[in-house]
Amino acid sequence: MKKVLMPLAMVATLALVAYVGVEFLKLQFIFGVVIPYTAAVLFVAGFLFRIADWLIRPVPFRIPTTAGQEKSLDWIRRNPIESPHRAWEAAARVLSEVLLFRSLFRNIRAELRKDASLAYASNKWLWLGGLAFHWSLLVIVLRHARFFFAMVPGFADFLDHADSFFDVTLPAFYISDAIALGAITFLVARRFFDAKVRMISLPTDYFPLFLIGGIVLIGVLMRYVVRLNVMPVKDLMLQLMNFGFDPPGEIGTLFYVHLFLISVLLAYFPLSKLMHMGGIFLSPTRNLCNNSREKRHVNPWNSDIKFRTYSEYEDDFREKMKKAGLPVEKQ
Amino acid sequence: MRINKTILTIGLPALLMFALLAFFRQSGNAVEAPKAPPAPVAVDSTKCIAQTEYMRANHMKVLYEWRNSSVREGNRVFIAQNGSRFQKSLKTCLGCHATNRLFCFNCHMYANVRPKCWNCHLSPMETP
Ligand code: HEC
Ligand code: HEC
Ligand code: HEC
Repeated sequence: MKKVLMPLAMVATLALVAYVGVEFLKLQFIFGVVIPYTAAVLFVAGFLFRIADWLIRPVPFRIPTTAGQEKSLDWIRRNPIESPHRAWEAAARVLSEVLLFRSLFRNIRAELRKDASLAYASNKWLWLGGLAFHWSLLVIVLRHARFFFAMVPGFADFLDHADSFFDVTLPAFYISDAIALGAITFLVARRFFDAKVRMISLPTDYFPLFLIGGIVLIGVLMRYVVRLNVMPVKDLMLQLMNFGFDPPGEIGTLFYVHLFLISVLLAYFPLSKLMHMGGIFLSPTRNLCNNSREKRHVNPWNSDIKFRTYSEYEDDFREKMKKAGLPVEKQ
Repeated sequence: MRINKTILTIGLPALLMFALLAFFRQSGNAVEAPKAPPAPVAVDSTKCIAQTEYMRANHMKVLYEWRNSSVREGNRVFIAQNGSRFQKSLKTCLGCHATNRLFCFNCHMYANVRPKCWNCHLSPMETP
């Protein structure tokens, strides 16, 4: 219980900090300018550091996890995606992992039945929930481009229109908002109600979920319920994009809570499991070609070993071998 | 026999449709024909229909409420807090905000929203 309540209390406290700071202490400049810049710097520097750190680690041997026939004789049908042999095949594999979560699709659930028999069944819910969660968050983030650029890039514009496709309610209802809220609820509930997952869940699993949930919830509240004037928000965002330092205009406090939680998320990102965003691309069990049989991979930090060939050995001992009656290759 | 069947397959659904239609025509919430727009009471045109600060953030919610209540419930008159009466229509907004044709668009271009209202309704850019 404590491992759920602690992160929840932390997110609530963070939200309260921003609320009190802006509503009562009038720290608009701190929460609107200083903290977002700091968080952005921490995010970019931390992210690059983690990636660089992973990149310079040597990966001497091929350790891809495979689930298909590797390239062999011509007449044996091979599986290019499950057991990649060329770089582009490995790239296709990584991309399908990133975009479609292929390995989660194979998720299998083990269940002890009432009659004490163990049953396995395909379980696609995690895959579906994860996909809905990540994609809707991506769409939401890209859609926010309309606050960050004076000339909004075309694809963000397109996303915005596609997302408000139903054209119900004003301000227009975004499909991704509903999907994100539903998916977060499902992912949290999964950790609560599945005993096995509850067992292995840590506070560091709940914290980002609650944090992102809080951000989405406040965003949805600001859009549909307690609206605030969007003009000064865009002023502030354009200013941040231009590295300006003017104090923000009159914006509702809820916006600062939203912004502060996002700042916390950004700063926390490189320190946490959220780094799987960059790490998935560098995962050696996914991005390596399975070509150990075709190509010799030598461990780069092996010291040079002086090998002695058989012919050298025979040169040394030829006479003795002949005396002992052993066969020799060269007379 | 064959002809009877065809008559049945076409006739029965048709009959059903007519029955349904008749039913809904009767049971539908009959909305009164819109009355003539409210007599133009002297309106204070220096103030918006609600507080300016509220309008900046919430004008689309006002429009949403107006559209639903006037088109669906036939309640076409909006009474502002100071007692002035307005016809619930986009035209009302433009009546006061006509001096600047770009009044709606300036903000919307800046915030990158493109309300679809002007697809059908008269846009401030089209008024003479
Ligand atoms: C102060 C600037 C401002 C003015 C003036 C303004 N709007 Fe808006 N309007 C906005 C902003 C900002 C949004 C988007 C809010 C959001 O995205 O949450 C918006 C959104 C809307 C929407 C909802 C669009 C959608 O798809 O969600 C409608 C409808 C709308 N405005 C109608 C009007 C009309 C009609 C006028 C002119 C009478 C007008 N507005 C004038 C700033 C303004
Ligand atoms: C009676 C005339 C009148 C009507 C009708 C009216 N407005 Fe206004 N509106 C005003 C005035 C005057 C102001 C400026 C008030 C001020 O500066 O404090 C204003 C301000 C606004 C603002 C804020 C503009 C800004 O510069 O930030 C918005 C948005 C707005 N109106 C939208 C609407 C919409 C949408 C409608 C229709 C639902 C509407 N108005 C109907 C007179 C009117
Ligand atoms: C598909 C075309 C279409 C679109 C898009 C549309 N409307 Fe309408 N609207 C109509 C029609 C037709 C009526 C007249 C219905 C009636 O009076 O019974 C109407 C009526 C209204 C009315 C009632 C008062 C009046 O003017 O007669 C309001 C208010 C209104 N619309 C607001 C909006 C707003 C705000 C938007 C944008 C978010 C919008 N409409 C988009 C077609 C449209």
